Amino acid sequence: MTNIPDVDAPDPGSAPAQIHAEAPGDHRGSWIPTRAMIATRFMELRKRRGLMITLIALTIGLPTLFLVIKLLLHAFVPHSYGPAGGFAVFTSLIAGVLYIFGFIAAMTLGATAGCSDLADGMFRQQVVTGRSRVALYLARIPAGLAIIIPMVAVAFTIICAVCVFSAPSSFDFQDTTVPLGLSLHGYQTWAADHPNLIICDFPYNGPCPGNEAEPNTPLPRALAQRQAEQNYPTYAVTYDSPPYGEMIRAGLWLELEVIIAYVFGLWFASLMGQRMVPIILMIVYEIIFRPFLLSTKIQIPHLINLQRPLVIELAVAHFEPAGIGINYGIVNGPAGLQDSSHLVPESTAIAVAVIAAWLVGWTVLGAWRMATRDA
Amino acid sequence: MTDLLASPNRTDEWAVETHGLTKRFGENIAVNDVELLVPRGSAFGYLGPNGAGKTTLIRVLLGLTHADAGTMTLLGHAIPRHRDVALARVGAIVDEPRFHGHLTGRQNLQILAAARERAAKGRIDPALERVGILHRADDKVSKYSMGMRQRLGVAACLLGDPQLLILDEPMNGLDPAGMQDMREMITSLVSEDRTVVLSSHLLDEVERTCDAVAIVDRGKVIRQGPISQLLAGSPFEVQVECSDPDRARSLLEGTTFVSHLQVGPNGLAISLPENTQRDVVAEINRLLVEGGISVHGIQQIQVSLEEWFLSVTSRLGAPE
Repeated sequence: MTNIPDVDAPDPGSAPAQIHAEAPGDHRGSWIPTRAMIATRFMELRKRRGLMITLIALTIGLPTLFLVIKLLLHAFVPHSYGPAGGFAVFTSLIAGVLYIFGFIAAMTLGATAGCSDLADGMFRQQVVTGRSRVALYLARIPAGLAIIIPMVAVAFTIICAVCVFSAPSSFDFQDTTVPLGLSLHGYQTWAADHPNLIICDFPYNGPCPGNEAEPNTPLPRALAQRQAEQNYPTYAVTYDSPPYGEMIRAGLWLELEVIIAYVFGLWFASLMGQRMVPIILMIVYEIIFRPFLLSTKIQIPHLINLQRPLVIELAVAHFEPAGIGINYGIVNGPAGLQDSSHLVPESTAIAVAVIAAWLVGWTVLGAWRMATRDA
Repeated sequence: MTDLLASPNRTDEWAVETHGLTKRFGENIAVNDVELLVPRGSAFGYLGPNGAGKTTLIRVLLGLTHADAGTMTLLGHAIPRHRDVALARVGAIVDEPRFHGHLTGRQNLQILAAARERAAKGRIDPALERVGILHRADDKVSKYSMGMRQRLGVAACLLGDPQLLILDEPMNGLDPAGMQDMREMITSLVSEDRTVVLSSHLLDEVERTCDAVAIVDRGKVIRQGPISQLLAGSPFEVQVECSDPDRARSLLEGTTFVSHLQVGPNGLAISLPENTQRDVVAEINRLLVEGGISVHGIQQIQVSLEEWFLSVTSRLGAPE
């Protein structure tokens, strides 16, 4: 590109253009979007009725439908269908539904925000206002997040509420009803009455000492009580209602995932100048490539230092609540059974830096594309 | 023409000023070394056939695409360096105005006003009223006709209280009444000391609306100036009603100031070349009378902008 020498601007005080002087505070060359720009961008996205219905259906509708069906089944056929709540249902819905569909919803919204002006022909009109193109791009980030974050929060709240208030009071294990919500003493007492079950069969205890076959005679009560004392923390969080700390961590982790998906979708669509192809590619990525990316099989011993900064999913997995277990391939698994040893090890600081770098990087690339695109 | 082009170094005199502006798309030169001076407070027509580079020039001026060479200023501010300051007081329609179809006209203007200064929000209703669609402001744009979108586009231009309006084919999609409204609006905008640049291939509209024009062909400005002055130097025709048109033709064939003669049902049509002075008409009358021909009437037929345009562009006679 040939450089274009600028003619020096005349003294602002002498030019007739200054008859209508700039309004005070009108820094339209600034990269920072104004509140009005964010608000109108929010309005533009919110008024897309079809998109909003789809996003609500994906984020709120699916888990709500699942829970309603579970509640009804349990209400009408309680012997065949267990309670709708509890930790197991919580992890199923978080890891299996909201995690995936929240990502897809956020990415779809981001892709829409990234190219709606281009598709509708409004980009040119906005550029003609003289407003910084970077500001036009950046206004889309808070505007879209103001939609998708509350949406996911509502879905998450519904899941939490049902999982807490409809949590099971007992569960059946090998034809034995295991009471839930027991104190340590109560759990030890119950364990002493079922020593073989506790010592040899419970997933976070077994197998029998010395890997021997389960005897027909009862094992020592004292051993069962010791085992019960050891695994009580796991028992307390696994089958009962989800602990509050775990729920808060899961909620924040989901929102982090949603933010990343939105910013990525925004950048990707802005780069490509269209919506459908980025959405399809991202869904393929979400369903096929991401699980593969997170599987333990791709840990490359000599390239771990490269994997850390290049794979944002590993950084996000660092913040995943221990009870969710999605990245360890043990959905619904009790925390005591989770094995994170195959994950690429990285510190919290590195994980934060990797996530921040990717978010900033995508934003810079998206803004750059917006600034250099012919309007 | 002389007045308009005087003092070319005074950047504050011109609403638009370009020097050597060039824009290429590969081998194709869409804007070719354009020297353009648009005086402030005028209605200026930017005329050219389809594909002449009118829209490309506007896009370059507005910073929608970069130029490959040359300098330009809008309202005295250098582009692209002071683009934000310059465009603060510029309103423009480029190609057909397009909006978010799922939003109402008012909501679309709110988005555009948000990108401008705070006061722009307060101009939304007056702008809608001025273009005559305030009563449809809360309808979705997807339900608007082409003409209504055109009006909405003009309303969007007015949000910034513009000193310069650049309208690309603003008559497109308008019915005759709408075109009349648009003409009146342009006239009223100019009367408010604003500058309106009108890009169009509708020569009749430009002639009715504009004070000055630039003719662009194959990316290059080939003529510019006030319409009256441009046409003053152009060829024109004289229609003579007389007692003996055939003998009148014989008499005039020997003269040097006539380029073409033709006898028709209305008498003798005499074509005069460029830069012919009005005294020649009197000379024709004198020759005919001295030749014993009774002259019943002489009518000077000024060439229209369209005829002049076709005569100066290289596409004369070429199919569109």
